[in-house]
Amino acid sequence: MSSLVISAWSAISPYGVGNAPLRKGLAEGRDAVAALDRDIYEVPFQQAALVPDFTAAQYLGKKGTRTMDRVTALAVTAVGGVVEAVAEELAARPEQTALVLGTGSGSVQSIMDFTKDSLTGERPYHVEPARFPNTVMNRAAGQSAIWHRIKGPNTTVAGGSLTGLLALNHALRLHRGGHCTRVFCGAAEEFTTQRAWLEWHGRADEERGTPLGEGAAVFLVEPAEDAAAAGRTALARVGAVRFRGYQGTDGPREALSVCVRNALDTAGVAPEDIRSVAPLGGGGKLAAEEEQAVTDALPGAHPEWIRLREHVGDTSAAATALQLAAVLATAGERGLGPGEAALVTGVERDGQVGCAVLVGG
Amino acid sequence: MVYDEEQRPRRVVITGLGAVTSIGLGAPAFLDGLKSGRSEVKPITAFDTTGFAHANACEVTDFVPTEWIHHVDPQELGRATQFSVAAANMAVADAGLSARDLRERRVLVSIGTTDAESRDLDTLTGIQLEEGPERLSPGLARRAQAGRLSSGIVRELGLVDVEALTIPTACAAGNYAIGSGFDAIRHGEVETALCGGADAVCRKTFTGFYRLGTIAPEVCQPFDIDRKGILTGEGAGVLLLESLDSALARGARIYAEVLGYGLNCDAHHPVSPDRNSLARCMEIAHRNAGVAQEDIDFISAHGTGTRANDVTEAGAIRQVFDAPPPTVSIKSMLGHSMGAASALAAAACALAITENFIPPTLNHRETDPECALDCVPNEARPAVLNVVQNNALAFAGNNAVVILGRVDRVSGPERAEPVKEAA
Repeated sequence: MSSLVISAWSAISPYGVGNAPLRKGLAEGRDAVAALDRDIYEVPFQQAALVPDFTAAQYLGKKGTRTMDRVTALAVTAVGGVVEAVAEELAARPEQTALVLGTGSGSVQSIMDFTKDSLTGERPYHVEPARFPNTVMNRAAGQSAIWHRIKGPNTTVAGGSLTGLLALNHALRLHRGGHCTRVFCGAAEEFTTQRAWLEWHGRADEERGTPLGEGAAVFLVEPAEDAAAAGRTALARVGAVRFRGYQGTDGPREALSVCVRNALDTAGVAPEDIRSVAPLGGGGKLAAEEEQAVTDALPGAHPEWIRLREHVGDTSAAATALQLAAVLATAGERGLGPGEAALVTGVERDGQVGCAVLVGG
Repeated sequence: MVYDEEQRPRRVVITGLGAVTSIGLGAPAFLDGLKSGRSEVKPITAFDTTGFAHANACEVTDFVPTEWIHHVDPQELGRATQFSVAAANMAVADAGLSARDLRERRVLVSIGTTDAESRDLDTLTGIQLEEGPERLSPGLARRAQAGRLSSGIVRELGLVDVEALTIPTACAAGNYAIGSGFDAIRHGEVETALCGGADAVCRKTFTGFYRLGTIAPEVCQPFDIDRKGILTGEGAGVLLLESLDSALARGARIYAEVLGYGLNCDAHHPVSPDRNSLARCMEIAHRNAGVAQEDIDFISAHGTGTRANDVTEAGAIRQVFDAPPPTVSIKSMLGHSMGAASALAAAACALAITENFIPPTLNHRETDPECALDCVPNEARPAVLNVVQNNALAFAGNNAVVILGRVDRVSGPERAEPVKEAA
């Protein structure tokens, strides 16, 4: 029997770059949403939750970052946070570490700017070739691998707000298939003018009040025995990751409660052992259905609810990854304790639900 | 995650194929095109090509969404998602299954892509320039999301116990998706996987490759001394995977077995491939599949038809193989269908095994001595095939190699687990 654990994590959130700002922000229950500078961002939102003072040049240096877009910079920086934990092992055997990184549709700003240049330039091919890779959706994962010399499987995943959970499950799958010794997995999302406009138009009226956020979270997933041998604390065992589909508006509550029960079964966790729940909390009516589903599936539990979205806005593709980070941030330096478990859930308006169960001890 | 080590790894087979291609819709038409060596190169219709000196592509011209999509409103789907949903429906029917059957199974839907709905993002960019961002279409904004490529299939089939995974690992994404389906079935995570890739021709990607000087003016000529680059293409390939036991139990037709696959990353350059790293990826694939280089009967190459790709790939092949087997590129027929490319190539490999032929490399006059491969020029070749290899490369050095085999080739005990890199 083998078990995979999270033994390091790295977060960039609207509270700041690094794990400490997220811990502090959550502990204080502080709101990271602020008024947008409308001179810089001509968008339909009044407010947003940006990562304060984040630029590629500031965190990665000027060399190699001239054409790097924001989501790539967030990803490369966040991956750097977990690279530190395994620097020697990574340098010695770069092909044994996989990277699974989730994004929305890459950078819609990079993609649409490139097309705009083609449509408005003197010639339709007057575009900057160095920016072409930014328009391909594996850019953030690929550039993270190049930057940190990670030569194992390099997979980009996408699935709306469930992206972080999909990345985690894909990491388990790659490891189980024998394709790597360890996996860095997570997700990143950027705030840009273009994303703001697309989100605005894509949302129903009642959802337009939720400000956009951004950030990234990356996790080191490895066998418990490898973590122990290297002296890294197993912060949580990945008990289970499950998904389910639903049809129509009445479906998400039922689908998610079944999904959570299945995940608890797989993880061997009793409902009352769930000490914290980090729901997505998105999409108006869907948020209420999500909380009801969790309550349905956890009779006898009295979990602490970590409602990240209320503080950092809608982080879209990074949302469920940041929820996982929030669970670990709340659990403290030693991670989840013996007998403790945590639940992360998400409901995607496109017809899927998903959850992960993390287990302590 | 606790693994059930009591459970034997399952053998994984392909029992359904769906293909939306410029040379035919559906597996039978695709097979006919591969055997007869068809190509449909035409001037691009997807966008206004004024100002480009040349603008040929391999577009899918006879696709009527309502003929292939039955439950979801095609208007809610971008063109790439329409392709993926249509190909999934084809694969399910081709496997002799129904949506109802799949609703009772645990399923992984895994679809690779390069651009997802960048075609819609192009359209939105145009609207924004003409009318301002306030006038963007809500319908387009909603459907222009990468996750739709797999979730559209879930909605169309009404799947219940399902994971919808989109893998935007660019031009190798189809092989990545097939690999995920293989692992999920092999280890008993799901019973059925619908996996493959989809993309639609778009201005953004054509322009990027054009600017890099890699678009061929007329035709795609992989491994030819006069090759001038890629032609952009589009379509979708979806494979239905299940365990051998499941296929045998329901008496399904089996195209081929997925023997294994290998992934790695050059971690070197954003767009240029690395020969040594690609060679290592092939070796990883062979080891994971439990085959030796001399077992490979033909290679379906990434074979884009650019100077750089073909020399690098041929070099890597010669590095791994004592005597390289026939090595073909179906991009000479389909153009480069991006995220769909390796999925359609895998489907072609499965059909080749079933129908005993090697697809040709079209438009071939004289092999580049720097490539020096038998590329099966211009005409399909009859051949009994046991094991075939499907290469895929992507920007950022994302390599993926899938190995397929004739299912009755192996008898006796289950093959060994893939071995990790020696620690």
